[in-house]
Amino acid sequence: MGGSAPTPAQRLALARLADVLVAEGPGIPSASAVGVAGDLLDRCLVAAPSFSEPLLALLDEVPTGGLDDFVRWLEVERPGDFAVLSTTVVAAYYLSEEVRELIGYPGQQPSPLSVAAEPDYLDLLERVYERHPGYRGYT
Amino acid sequence: MAIFSKVYYFNMVMQGHQSNVVIIGAGASGSVAALRLAAAGFEVVCLEQGDWVGPADYMGAQPEAELAWIERWNPDPNARQGWADYPLTGDADVRPVMYNGVGGGLVQWAAMWQPLLASDFRVRTLDGVADDWPISWGDLADAYAQVAGDMSVSGLGGDPALPEMNPYPNPPIPIGKIGRVAAEGMDRLGWHWWPGANAIASRRHRGLQACQRRGTCMTGCPENAKATPSLTHWPSAQAAGARLVTGVRVTEIPVDERGRVRGTVYRDRDGVEHFQPAQVVMLAANAVGTARLLLLSVSSRFPGGLANSSGLVGRRLMQHPYRTVTVVCDEPLDSWQGPWGQNIYSLEFAETHPDRDFLRGAKWMVMPHGGPMFAVAEYQEAHRHEGFEAVWGANFHRAANEVFGHAFTWGIQAEDLPEHDNRVLLDPSECDSSGLPAARIEYRVSENTRRMLDFNVARAVEAAEASGAVSTMVRDIWPTGIGHVLGTTRMGDDPESSVVDRWCRAHDVPNLYVIDGGVFVTGGSANPTATIMANALRVTDHMIEARASQKVP
Ligand SMILES: Cc1cc2nc3c(=O)[nH]c(=O)nc-3n(C[C@H](O)[C@H](O)[C@H](O)COP(=O)(O)OP(=O)(O)OC[C@H]3O[C@@H](n4cnc5c(N)ncnc54)[C@H](O)[C@@H]3O)c2cc1C
Ligand code: SF4
Repeated sequence: MGGSAPTPAQRLALARLADVLVAEGPGIPSASAVGVAGDLLDRCLVAAPSFSEPLLALLDEVPTGGLDDFVRWLEVERPGDFAVLSTTVVAAYYLSEEVRELIGYPGQQPSPLSVAAEPDYLDLLERVYERHPGYRGYT
Repeated sequence: MAIFSKVYYFNMVMQGHQSNVVIIGAGASGSVAALRLAAAGFEVVCLEQGDWVGPADYMGAQPEAELAWIERWNPDPNARQGWADYPLTGDADVRPVMYNGVGGGLVQWAAMWQPLLASDFRVRTLDGVADDWPISWGDLADAYAQVAGDMSVSGLGGDPALPEMNPYPNPPIPIGKIGRVAAEGMDRLGWHWWPGANAIASRRHRGLQACQRRGTCMTGCPENAKATPSLTHWPSAQAAGARLVTGVRVTEIPVDERGRVRGTVYRDRDGVEHFQPAQVVMLAANAVGTARLLLLSVSSRFPGGLANSSGLVGRRLMQHPYRTVTVVCDEPLDSWQGPWGQNIYSLEFAETHPDRDFLRGAKWMVMPHGGPMFAVAEYQEAHRHEGFEAVWGANFHRAANEVFGHAFTWGIQAEDLPEHDNRVLLDPSECDSSGLPAARIEYRVSENTRRMLDFNVARAVEAAEASGAVSTMVRDIWPTGIGHVLGTTRMGDDPESSVVDRWCRAHDVPNLYVIDGGVFVTGGSANPTATIMANALRVTDHMIEARASQKVP
């Protein structure tokens, strides 16, 4: 992980901010409920080490109340910090196995393709061929 | 030594495996030349500023794959900021992206394989604009076929928009659900489409494994299924004796008193300077890197930069300005699945048409839409103007519900005509990790290109509707480019209006060649690499054939 590991206070701050961005929806949990501030955060910071410093500095400034206003203020006044925060939360959220299952995302898994069968679009292609005027300019 | 005996010497030592061609850059074009020359018995040294990369470095097999695009595998060198990534500065409507390492742009490319149109070589004659190339489609026909074989291309021949070609070595990759939906829309409108050709193996072929549809092609293929020179060219080139030196940056190409290049000066990562003598130098550092290096190589004989008597080095930069129309459908399309090449493409609007208010045209291609992070990013970009609540909080999940797995993208790349003031310069203050001036990019999107893109985007929205889209998300011109950099050392017969001749030898310097995308006279709208590699092969073969008359220092 780039820089130091998040402290418990920083994790708590992230969990609170994260729910402003990713609230509970119909049949799907909020960001903090799937643990974005735990292991998932650590994995994001390994994959994107340059986030560590600005994110942890930001988490040290989080106020105790008025979180909603704070996040909106960040978006307008400090778009760079907002981008680091929101990207981390979204990335961590979709690393959660529970969320992946709920949205039907297996990840970028291998799945062999088959070229054995004849393509099923040859009738459409024939029409392309018939109506095309042909290329120009060949020498 | 008299010229005659020097030429004779070059010829002899080449035959005796002792001669010396230095290639700068181990990307698409440099790899082609290195393999061909080494196989023909030349002693070849290739100098590359970046490193070897391979499946152990790629993150496509890890759950964090999507996040990797933002950092280590960001296509923008200014974001990656590795040692090999020289900064790109300046005020540009479109700023290039590239990868610097063994394979060059072909480490991260989408592997879309697209020969130019026949008309692309004759735009002045046919459309009264820009310039004709000094060569024709026919001059590249054999080389197109050869490089398609070397790159294990999977595709279907017979596209009536293109001259007849040899069959591709592998059957086309299935067009998938997204290709089918898009093709049906085009069919309803009576518009051209064709299954995409991609340098991705649809079955095991030569050094490549069969594609596993991970869809992480642009952060490097973890399955070794996408063609990239470290798999397709370097193993054979090295076996034939080519030497590839990585982690070194060429800083200057010095000349002798007769104006012939003597070799290259380069620095390693400790800042130590070295000299690599050469009888012939081939520049393959891409249209930005090559222009930069020529401009850096000033001498009393070439005060405006090496090979720059025309004043054109760095000018006429073309980049295929790019817009997208993302098509959202009701039905599940599993559109995170790869490959992230082109499922289908269209050349319906690629040619000049008298009823349109612009000249030349654009190519379209259908691509997947990635995982949930991509869906969120694009959904938020399209809806951000509606306010915070529209995209965050409880509404955050709309992107995953409506877009993720249900969308595909029509990418639209425009043929931008060469403009004198779109160019690469040396930055007056910012430097790279070797202390060399950064490449400064000045680039404006012309009115012709803007009209072309507006027209094509409107048609793509119609195509989306014909495909049964429930909504579309339209993006404006991408401010970072798509990795296509062309035109800064154009080829031509007239030394006053071109930098290299039809064999890509510098008009001003008889033992200096440029073989990368810089030599394009116009850019067409096709993804350029098929043509860059075919042309590099054509030129290298000619150099080998004509070695008896090659002038050397
Ligand atoms: C994200 C992305 C997607 C793309 N997708 C496609 C696609 O689908 N289809 C397509 O046709 N094209 C695609 N391209 C474009 C393709 O990568 C380029 O057309 C191609 O790589 C250009 O080849 P080249 O030989 O001109 O230069 P490059 O491949 O860029 O190679 C140049 C090499 O020179 C090295 N170099 C530069 N300066 C120096 C120096 N001073 N000293 C030492 N080494 C130096 C660089 O490190 C680099 O490795 C894509 C590009 C990117 C970035
Ligand atoms: S889709 Fe195919 S080519 Fe792309 S990363 Fe996966 S295996 Fe490689």
